[in-house]
Amino acid sequence: MRLPRFEFLKPASLEESLGLLEKSGRKAKVLAGGTDLLVNMKYGVLRPETVVSIKAIPELCSISSEKDGQTIIGASVTLSDLAGNSLIAERFPAFQLAVRSVASKHIRNMASLGGNICFDTRCWYYNQSKLWRDARELCHRTGGSVCHAIKGSKRCHAINASDTAPALIALDAKIAVMKKGQKRLIPAKEFYRDDGIRHTVLEPEEMVTSIQLPEGNGNSQSTFIKVSMRKGIDFATGSIAAAASVNGKGVAGVRLVVGSIASAPVLLEKTAQLIIESGLTEKSIEKAAETARSELGTLTNLFTTAGYKRHLAEVLVKRALSELKEKIGRARK
Amino acid sequence: MKKILSLTVNGDTYEVAVSPWKTLLDVLRDNLGLMGTKRGCSIGTCGVCTVIIDGKAILSCLTLALECEGKAITTIEGISSEGSLHPVQKSFIENGAIQCGYCSPGIIMTAKALLDENPHPSDDEIKEALAGTFCRCTGHVKIMEAIKKVSQPAGEGASHAPGK
Repeated sequence: MRLPRFEFLKPASLEESLGLLEKSGRKAKVLAGGTDLLVNMKYGVLRPETVVSIKAIPELCSISSEKDGQTIIGASVTLSDLAGNSLIAERFPAFQLAVRSVASKHIRNMASLGGNICFDTRCWYYNQSKLWRDARELCHRTGGSVCHAIKGSKRCHAINASDTAPALIALDAKIAVMKKGQKRLIPAKEFYRDDGIRHTVLEPEEMVTSIQLPEGNGNSQSTFIKVSMRKGIDFATGSIAAAASVNGKGVAGVRLVVGSIASAPVLLEKTAQLIIESGLTEKSIEKAAETARSELGTLTNLFTTAGYKRHLAEVLVKRALSELKEKIGRARK
Repeated sequence: MKKILSLTVNGDTYEVAVSPWKTLLDVLRDNLGLMGTKRGCSIGTCGVCTVIIDGKAILSCLTLALECEGKAITTIEGISSEGSLHPVQKSFIENGAIQCGYCSPGIIMTAKALLDENPHPSDDEIKEALAGTFCRCTGHVKIMEAIKKVSQPAGEGASHAPGK
């Protein structure tokens, strides 16, 4: 498969790249690692007229620890750089586990964090060659008005398979987004939309510039579990990121986020509340896993059946909470 | 519109006129005639197009040629010197880690990048590095063995040599 034609621009500064995006808007796509964008362009599902490479912009390529305890990661930082970073491993275990679970080492050497969080949603009727897609009616995603994944659906149900997204939501990260003359700081949870087509709140002339992780305090623990067909290369069939903080009285806060089962990562608020109220015990974990099943809402049969997804989420909640319980127990000793 | 690109491959500098939509793989094979790097899936999952850029295993099918200006690129053609094979290549032959050979350049480059960074990797580290490559003829057992033989300290490998 070859790439379609496009104009290639490689601005040397952030200011210049924002100017280019303002001018080109919807016709342009931002390129960092290229492991998602170029694949979609080869399949012909994305056809930007202009590709703006942000690899040469120094401020997007660094990891820094701020005085207030925040860690700021530039959008072009590669997943390999994050996987090998000891500060990230120590402060944000869930995030590092998520990063290390992405595809393969080759891909991680190239792929950027910005790319992984903006990563296009996936559907087996959509991520196919043009020839394959042409054999069916156009779907919502390809400009038509049907959904092949769910007959009769009025929206696109493509799945958000980003591994870092659930971890960033669980750790309450913020995503810095810029367009010419304007900067927004969006909590990771609000960055995603439950829509297969417009799956993030990013406007066409905007780009992600950095990811900000709040200070990981000594009283909090986090973890990430990914289930996939093969450990290497494959997208998750389901994943979970979990974070908990403790104080003198017990569990003060819990965040549970299930990834790769819907068009947006699912934050399980009711399930987390149950753990906050009854603490992390074997009994409460069982009950939380049951609660998670019903809290997931409607699921689709895309890639795996809805029943499988629900069961997987239950198992993942149980495993993640048990891991957190053990980690908290160990930290107390 | 083509742009003039200066590429450093295996220590040699080439000047090529390249369209923006050409990948590094296209340019290596079509412009420079370096056919050792193979074209497989084209979407980054098979690893046969692996080259080493600035010390890291990179997929040339998902790298735009224009992004490679000023970088040191090593392909399978560049790792043997004056007729003598690279130790990883030798080990692949000695341990029968080759069948049809299509995936070999990519896997050898992947192994070289791993061993340059970590001369004595554990089994898990080898598996992690190889996860982005595919051998469709047989399996990765012989390949693992070949890489392990190269990575063993001198003397230790000899005790596992065939016939002993």
